[in-house]
Amino acid sequence: MLDPQLDNRRWLRDLAGDARGWLRLAGAAGILAGLCTIVQMGLLAWLVDRLVTQASPPAALSEAFVGLIGVLILRAAAQWVQERAGAEASLRIRARVRGELLDHLAALGPVRLGDRHSAGLGQQLVEQVEALDGYFARFLPQMRLTLVLPLVILAVVASLDWLAAALLLLAAPLIPLFMALVGMGAERLNREQFVAVTRLAGHFLDRVRGVTTLQLFNRTADSIDEVHAAADEYRRRSLRTLRLAFLSSAVLEFFASVAIAMVAIYIGFGLLGYIAFGPADALTLFSGLFVLLLAPEFFQPLRTLSQHYHDRAAALGAAEGLLELLGEPVPDGSGRMAAASSDEPRPAEPRPADSLPSDARGTAVTLRRVTIAHPGRGRVLGPLDLEIAAGECVALVGPSGSGKSSLLQLLAGFIDAESGELAIEHAPPVAWMDQRPWLVQGTLADNLRLAAPQASDAELWAAVRRAGLDEVVDGLSAGLATPLGERGYGLSGGQAQRLALARVFLSRAPLVLLDEPTASLDGETQSLVIEGLRELIASGATVVVATHQQALMRLAHRRIELTNHARRQEVGHDAPV
Amino acid sequence: MTPRSEPSLRDDFAPWLRRLGRRSRRLSAGALLMALTVASGIGLLALSGWFITATAVTGALLAAGAMATLDVYVPGAGIRLFAVTRTVARYCERLYNHDTVLRVLAELRAGMFSVLTRLDGQTLSQLRASEWLNRLTADIDALDGLYLRLLAPPLVAALAIGGVGALLAWFAPGIALAVVVPLGVLWLWLVFGQAWLGMAPARRRVASQDRLRGRIIEQIQGLAELRCYGTLASHRRALAGEETTLYADQRRLASRQALGSALVNLVVGGCVVLALWLAAHAEVDGRISAAVMVMMPLAVLALNEALGGLPQAFTQLGATRAAARRLNELAGRQGTLREADAPHAAPADKPAIALEAVSVRYPATLAPALEALTLRLAPGERLAVLGASGAGKSTLGQLLVRQLDPTAGAVTFNGIDLRDIALSELRARVGYLTQHSELFQASLADNLRLGDPAADETALWRVLEIVDLADWARDLPEGLETWVGESGRQVSGGQARRIALARVVLKEPQLVILDEPFSGLDAATAARIAARLDCWLQGRSVVFLAHAVDGLPGVARTLELLAGRPRE
Repeated sequence: MLDPQLDNRRWLRDLAGDARGWLRLAGAAGILAGLCTIVQMGLLAWLVDRLVTQASPPAALSEAFVGLIGVLILRAAAQWVQERAGAEASLRIRARVRGELLDHLAALGPVRLGDRHSAGLGQQLVEQVEALDGYFARFLPQMRLTLVLPLVILAVVASLDWLAAALLLLAAPLIPLFMALVGMGAERLNREQFVAVTRLAGHFLDRVRGVTTLQLFNRTADSIDEVHAAADEYRRRSLRTLRLAFLSSAVLEFFASVAIAMVAIYIGFGLLGYIAFGPADALTLFSGLFVLLLAPEFFQPLRTLSQHYHDRAAALGAAEGLLELLGEPVPDGSGRMAAASSDEPRPAEPRPADSLPSDARGTAVTLRRVTIAHPGRGRVLGPLDLEIAAGECVALVGPSGSGKSSLLQLLAGFIDAESGELAIEHAPPVAWMDQRPWLVQGTLADNLRLAAPQASDAELWAAVRRAGLDEVVDGLSAGLATPLGERGYGLSGGQAQRLALARVFLSRAPLVLLDEPTASLDGETQSLVIEGLRELIASGATVVVATHQQALMRLAHRRIELTNHARRQEVGHDAPV
Repeated sequence: MTPRSEPSLRDDFAPWLRRLGRRSRRLSAGALLMALTVASGIGLLALSGWFITATAVTGALLAAGAMATLDVYVPGAGIRLFAVTRTVARYCERLYNHDTVLRVLAELRAGMFSVLTRLDGQTLSQLRASEWLNRLTADIDALDGLYLRLLAPPLVAALAIGGVGALLAWFAPGIALAVVVPLGVLWLWLVFGQAWLGMAPARRRVASQDRLRGRIIEQIQGLAELRCYGTLASHRRALAGEETTLYADQRRLASRQALGSALVNLVVGGCVVLALWLAAHAEVDGRISAAVMVMMPLAVLALNEALGGLPQAFTQLGATRAAARRLNELAGRQGTLREADAPHAAPADKPAIALEAVSVRYPATLAPALEALTLRLAPGERLAVLGASGAGKSTLGQLLVRQLDPTAGAVTFNGIDLRDIALSELRARVGYLTQHSELFQASLADNLRLGDPAADETALWRVLEIVDLADWARDLPEGLETWVGESGRQVSGGQARRIALARVVLKEPQLVILDEPFSGLDAATAARIAARLDCWLQGRSVVFLAHAVDGLPGVARTLELLAGRPRE
């Protein structure tokens, strides 16, 4: 195993490569601003020296005053460019990371993501990606100038008074040492913090989703306490992180403050002539004041860096979670013989709406000695041999937990077989419908077009009719433009299921996978849907349906019985269509 | 929704300021520590400058052979003192203030969740789960900025400007005025101008980040369909649209925030130059000493630190405001179930339920969900309420457990109106298997114990036996400790349903409402469970909600609903 920390850092570094130009610009502008500061301080010290020791009238120095203003303007401009360029770099990188993550989630498929909280994932893709911001926008550019500016300042101070430079230098090496010590602890804690935040989010959504259940079970008072306890635990954990994070900047402050105090006292005593050794007797008000003004600037880049240090820790924490997600292996379609395992949707030739190639019946699906296993649940199916002819309707029956859904998931390409071979004739689209109809926030038409983005209104209506939903839609004043809430608010369970079924019709997919499609429908609606399914079968689609319901079983050409304990197949008798 | 005028900034923040006010002692202590830090920074730089110049002048005099003395020990000690207080005060301030804020946040979070738990079923079903989550976490988190970034720092910055002004005025009131006026204008700009510049994009950014999160969650939940239909790409385009809006506003905000930072440096720097220019004249006139002349610009220079954090805080004010407003809306939402002022104890006898001409009408719907329904359930009786989806069965269930109050009519429990019974007492006596059963992300045992937190393992196995899951659970590598994922995806749909049923059984309620208890089960399993359930239901009052009466054990009477009315 590679050191995961190293991987996280390398990943962040690779990402930085994508916005190299902007990051360089930010660093360069930062350095320019720093150089302006040096010039500004030098001019200030020079002016004071002229005013005090030479007793020059201020009017005689007006050119220098104007120059000082000019330097200030240049510095402000450089600073603006630094912030802006850093933000741009971060923005580009975050956009890329988010895109990659979305691609990866899509490739992982629904079953691999099944044990993850979708809100947790949403949080990762929004908040954790945003957590990379500070690192690229502020930390990295600041790091560049931290490598350059203190050296420049030290050189300037050394040229003025080497002993003062030595005083600064004395404090300097202690700083990275402390920073490293403190930073290591903070980094670990910060990662824990991220886990805590994600867990807290999951904890919340779970309770929010199940708030009805909590009400019904009279557990609301307990759950409020639980929520408070979780939040308070989060506070305690955060404080542990913060104590260390703040310590690192406190150490820096301390050295910076002490160094400034020492330099001030050294220069003061030197100017009084109390110090008889070294370069002290050559000190003037100009060099003394210049050194004093530069002393805080010597530490400033590091102090700013330490303020942004939590940005880095946050990015590393986020990187860990995101890399873990990106590292999750994608189902590779092992054991598949046909080209149907593709992760990327490719243009397929949809089945024509009406034509029926009745004589062109080949084999649509072939399974040889296929087994399916789930982590933590062991083998759930197989070994199974099965051939499904094109245009055939097969019912998968058997007790719940016997692997009906898993077999459908395998056919859809969401999971890999544990062993055996699988061949599917058609490329996607495949039509899919399960026990929980999936609905998005949007209009009815939006929800239908999820299956066929280009479909015309007439096609939508046709699909709605075939799914037995037309009476419902007719009764809505806005018709297909009626908006739905999350999880289909506004539709009953049966209506939502019929909407999902309308999508199946709309997709014209040659292979249709149905998981308990009529479980939540009443008798009347059920027969409407079955009528539609009959039409679907007649139009030449291959249908595989997992069901407990007699009516659906009767519709199928063939039943495949999957058993719970023996986990082997028994092919039942052909049923009359 | 009735159009209302937008709440003002003050309306949005007032409840939160009041809440903060309750901890005013802690907050003032925190602000004092913050002020002490800033004051030490100003003192360190100003005193050092004064000291160096004073020593230079004295040194020059001494070198010229003149008699001159300078007390070096008091300023030296002062410099060291400022150096130490600055460090210590800052460390304490940050830790102390973060602790305060996180305490407030933990309270807020629990408070907001409790608002949620009091809402009725109808209101709850209208909101997106992801929105709730966001309100409870991100929005409350965003409010930590209220004190730490938006209240204390501008206050301290104003104090610092005033303090530096006072210091300068001690020596030369004219110079103080000349410097404090532009600094005051800068302060006003940073607080009000930056807030104004950032308000719209910051609020939009929050909104588009929300929509983006919602879209992403949608896509994750719908991956099965999207992948199968090959329509991921088009859904991704909708997502990309949200991203583009988000990035455009982020860009705008970065630009405006950078403008604020540049202004701080420019104006403070300008005031340094101004102070030096004016002080030089004052020194020539003999009004101030050379050392004081140097001290003045350096004191102004140190103000950079006090003002540096303001541009970011106020440019992003809109985000904090959006969070505050959404939380206010949540807290003020209608649809809360009222507890009776002096609730009755629920009668201990077996429940007899009666509905007297009950109607339920949901807002923004034409037809009522239930219309003038009268219904009686004798103690120990089993009633099956039948009907198509949308006929009003779930509404009836929600009424019986008081997740919903009738629009007209009354529901009584042994003759007492449900609204007069303490909610917790009522719900302790009623078990309701809803149409959509939610499992929590927890172990199988924890999910079952929702029904009875004190249940021992024997009791858990007993209820698993009733729902025919005991063999399955025994085969699981981790047994009762098996983790049950989101919406129970780790278990099949039918298994999740049975776990939810087991939970109700474990609760041992007197009134049992079962909504399609056997949906998604094969006939053999359903029959086995029905037989065991029949036994357990003996002596309890039962309402089944179903499409058909087939397979429901021991039903004596049926009532068929059609569009919210009994079928004639």
